[in-house]
Amino acid sequence: MIKDEKLLERYLSEELKVVNRSLPIKRKTLSELLREEYPHVLTRDGGVHMFRRSELRLAYELLGSELASRLYLPIILEVKTEFKETVMCVNDAVAAKLIAKILGLKYYELPLYIYPKQLSVLRRSIGTLIHYAFTFS
Amino acid sequence: MSQQVIRIVRPTKIELIRLRRRLAIARRLHKVLKDRLVILTQEFISLIKDALSLRKEIHKGLDLCDEKLAKALSVSTLREVEVLATTLYESFQVIVGSRVSAGVRVPLLDIEFSEYSNALTKKPLSLIDAARCYRSIIEKIVKLTEIEYSIYRIGAEVSRVKRRVNALEYILIPRLINTIKFLEMKFEEREREDKIRLKKVKELLLRRAGG
Repeated sequence: MIKDEKLLERYLSEELKVVNRSLPIKRKTLSELLREEYPHVLTRDGGVHMFRRSELRLAYELLGSELASRLYLPIILEVKTEFKETVMCVNDAVAAKLIAKILGLKYYELPLYIYPKQLSVLRRSIGTLIHYAFTFS
Repeated sequence: MSQQVIRIVRPTKIELIRLRRRLAIARRLHKVLKDRLVILTQEFISLIKDALSLRKEIHKGLDLCDEKLAKALSVSTLREVEVLATTLYESFQVIVGSRVSAGVRVPLLDIEFSEYSNALTKKPLSLIDAARCYRSIIEKIVKLTEIEYSIYRIGAEVSRVKRRVNALEYILIPRLINTIKFLEMKFEEREREDKIRLKKVKELLLRRAGG
């Protein structure tokens, strides 16, 4: 029985590792990425996550030069597993501002909660700039 | 749903506590996987929609480009078209990379054209129009390649996660619940037996004291 319990716990941690293995090691600012020839960040699994230049330009247009140096990419969308429904949240103020502009939200507060229906809008406009992280309490 | 019960060596309270802990872990794991499945499925569906619309656009665009080319050929010679085709772009670059979408690595393709600065000067407008049309088609084809490969990768991950979610939802969690119920019933029965035994002992002691 104890063996089974440990097996299940190990399976859970392995599954979480699979889910979160592609998180970036170090994030870069939008202005830094725009200066790169091939904008990218390295991920924990040793891979590369590339950004689409057109999406970076869109983010720059929406935020302006001042906020571009404060926006760290990729934007991490925390998937809150403790809620009954699938909900994601953004804690970064600059990232929340960008997302609110894309979603057309006039009023919002931190943390900004995002629902699956809004995801498709985000994916279309800034698909390579967002990343999911599964948090586990 | 599974009606089976997990085989337990000894039906003790400790086992019941362990089973409850396992059930809590299994439920949390189920929630994590289900959330991931929701995100992946959404991505999968939106990619399929994109691929379909892009395919339609490419087919329509090709017809339009052919028409434009025919129009261009009516005002310029075939030789001129060939010269323009070879001298229009200095180079073009297909950037091949990868991105991660909900834990799945999918390809990222981008195409960049570098045009000669004076390539389109003194050329008929219809020819320029046809050239621009074909360029947009190439860009769309590259995008479609990326989307179709992403569909394949995400689809494989959806089926893998779905199997795990189903295994938890229909086998592991129901089995744990059934086993917990079975143990609880067993303990209740034991409690009832103890109560009756105590009553009998009390009666016996009273009878002895009376006698």
